[in-house]
Amino acid sequence: MNEVSLWTGFWPFTPERFAIWVGAILTLCIYSFLYRDNPFYKFAEHLLVGVSAGYWALIYWNANIVGQLLVPVLRGGVLLPLVPGVLGLLMFTRFFPRFAWISRYAIAFYVGGYAGLAIPSYMQARVLAQVHAAMAPTVSITAALLLIGLICSLLYFFFSREHKGVLGGASRIGIWFLMVGFGASFGYTVMARVSLLIGRMQFLFRDWLGLIR
Amino acid sequence: MSVHSSISIIVMLIASLAAGIDIGGSAAGAPLQPGEEPLGESAFLEAFIATRPPGPATSVVAHDVPGDGGRQIAISWTRSRDDGAGDDDVVGYDILRSTQPGRGYLLIDEVPPGVESYVDTTATDGTTYYYIVRAKDDMQTVDSEPSGPAASRANWFRTRRLNMFIILVLFFSFVLTYIAQARRGKELFVRRIPGLTAVEEAIGRATEMGKPVLYVPGIGEIDNIMTVASLSILTHVAKITARYESPLLVPTARAVVMSAAEEVVKEAYLSVGKPDAYNPDNIRYLSDAQFAFAAAVNGIMLRERPAANLYMGAFWAESLLLAETGFEAGAIQVAGTAMVSQLPFFITACDYTLIGEELYAASAYLSREPKLLGSLKGSDLGKAFVMVAIIVGVIMETAVAFGVAPLTAIADIFRNFFYVAGQ
Amino acid sequence: MRREIPLIITFVAGFVQLVDFFVPHPLVANAASELRQWSVIVIAASIVLGIGNLLRIHLFERIPRRTAGWPYSIVLLAGMFAMMITGLVWGVGEGTPFNYLFRHLKVHLDMTMFALLAFFIASAAYRAFRVRNWEATLLLLAAVIVMLGRVPLGSLLTRGLPTALQLPVVTEWIMNVPNMIGFRGIMMGAAMGVMAMGLRIILGIERAYLGGE
Repeated sequence: MNEVSLWTGFWPFTPERFAIWVGAILTLCIYSFLYRDNPFYKFAEHLLVGVSAGYWALIYWNANIVGQLLVPVLRGGVLLPLVPGVLGLLMFTRFFPRFAWISRYAIAFYVGGYAGLAIPSYMQARVLAQVHAAMAPTVSITAALLLIGLICSLLYFFFSREHKGVLGGASRIGIWFLMVGFGASFGYTVMARVSLLIGRMQFLFRDWLGLIR
Repeated sequence: MSVHSSISIIVMLIASLAAGIDIGGSAAGAPLQPGEEPLGESAFLEAFIATRPPGPATSVVAHDVPGDGGRQIAISWTRSRDDGAGDDDVVGYDILRSTQPGRGYLLIDEVPPGVESYVDTTATDGTTYYYIVRAKDDMQTVDSEPSGPAASRANWFRTRRLNMFIILVLFFSFVLTYIAQARRGKELFVRRIPGLTAVEEAIGRATEMGKPVLYVPGIGEIDNIMTVASLSILTHVAKITARYESPLLVPTARAVVMSAAEEVVKEAYLSVGKPDAYNPDNIRYLSDAQFAFAAAVNGIMLRERPAANLYMGAFWAESLLLAETGFEAGAIQVAGTAMVSQLPFFITACDYTLIGEELYAASAYLSREPKLLGSLKGSDLGKAFVMVAIIVGVIMETAVAFGVAPLTAIADIFRNFFYVAGQ
Repeated sequence: MRREIPLIITFVAGFVQLVDFFVPHPLVANAASELRQWSVIVIAASIVLGIGNLLRIHLFERIPRRTAGWPYSIVLLAGMFAMMITGLVWGVGEGTPFNYLFRHLKVHLDMTMFALLAFFIASAAYRAFRVRNWEATLLLLAAVIVMLGRVPLGSLLTRGLPTALQLPVVTEWIMNVPNMIGFRGIMMGAAMGVMAMGLRIILGIERAYLGGE
């Protein structure tokens, strides 16, 4: 958020001051949603979708197509990026239903690569590192809780047995741990969201109306 | 000691005498107070130390870094006797490299005092190098004996990841074995997942009310495994809506996900013999931008009034914007995600929520396809393996902590088997 | 052609990345990093499909057919073209019209949508109060404790109590013990799911994302 007030009075109408008015009105349009769906919200929503589409198109174009494809090929004389360029063009076969299946080549390439990346990186960071960290001497009540809680919450994610008897009890304890964790995460986020609101209020009352300093 | 430095010591000595500094310390002056340095002596010593060259680094050894992609040679040495001890005036070491043992040494890098190893990352594979470590103080430098010859080479296996390789092969074999078993017709059990039973009920209710079903596959790109899982669930949801002939709205935040969703839904409608019920206009690209997407989906909820909202996939902060609006609009809501930070919001705002791995288990549960059930069983075995490992590890570590010394070595080996090496 | 080639592409793209994790040899490392570069180009082309879809729905359907709310489609398209044209004509850097529109339209709308969460998180919390089952109660309790524990009010309220019962201390314990366990359990379970799914994708067992079984 702006720490320095943008408030400079209402007149004369410079581009920056005009922008603050536009920003303030759009902010109010979005907030009107809290009352109910209405033309002001619809206007702001459609504007946001349109502007975002244009924004992303330009960003993709500049960073990925120009930066990774056109510049290396046209300026650097590197021809390899033409292969993904052609693969990317295959996506456009979706505009012609008869040939739409060809776009699968591009999707297959993209998904396959990331699947190959995901397997070892998930195993490394989210399984092994956690196992390694969990292997601590259990010499306190907290440490014992850590062990019991972890085993129980893993048992909750055990699918190939009916959850009854001992397994049922353990997985129930597991879900309690999960719920406390979710609650903690919820409570932890509240202040962050409230500060977003404070930021918006500052924009309206300070930068736009100049009511607070 | 070189002639040059001997002379400079003598000159400094004479100079300090001439300046009247009391070399004998406190003998001629006032008695020293506790904590007070004998002035003259320190000045003399400093002068002396500054002119005496540092002891050389010794035992310089160079060898190829094992299990790497080449171009790296590790050099290690024992630090100068004046680094951290002795005159304690070493300010660092220069690393010099040559392709001949006797001459042609060029500086490649420098390291601070106290360091006893360095990895040269600029070697050419197959070339033999010799290294010298040059100890430096403020005024002078002393070269070590050159290291023996060393050459780097590229390897075909990252030895430090051997443990991960073994574990991965083990995990893959769990999954593939069970898939093979399932394909041979073995019955595999999957526990009930309450959220998934609710999906069909929700679609049924939407049909009764004559309202559409909304399926949001998250805002992740198609490379996100949660999105792939979501598309798999969409296959089954689309088959149900096709049978019931309820409109299925699929807003997407990624154009590729939109394309994939079109294929998925179209094929599902085809497979239950309702190709005409498929409406391509219901599968839409809204925006790559998170909040623009949320704003637009909120609009759909309030204007097209779906009676069942299904959120399956990767969600970020927009999760609560969607789920709260859906709740206010009175829809039955079922969510599923492995995004830990968003689960609390889905749980509070939705009727049912698939937590974490339940999202991945969903397609197996819904389709009852042997290959998916087998895979689920395989990952269950993986979890069992991990749980046993943790329990064994904790027991050993606890025993060590309580003084069972003979276990120390084996506990360390066991725990380090799960160590994650960076490169 | 329609089925086999995409599956072969997926396998090769995935296998190279997986092998790259274990094989340091430059032959593999260079191939893997080149393929990762390619993904960026392939995916960038897809934005055209997105724009195409928006045009089809708004320009060629809603506006000509005058469906309900069609004027908002004009707003959407105007926003989109404004961004694209300004970005292509004057560039996207600091001080350009593209940047002006980005800062004063998109940023305000985005921030306000984000800030709506302050209200939504409050209404979600209120709802949690009314749910009467043990799991929801646990969640709510943890949420309230953590929320209070993170603001000055929390430490004021419990100032007289023994240290172990003071809200900031309890909050820290909840964050470090049950919260951590819950997340670790979910993370490890989900990672196994990802690894199994990744393997199925690479081996062509999972192919829902390509359409059909």
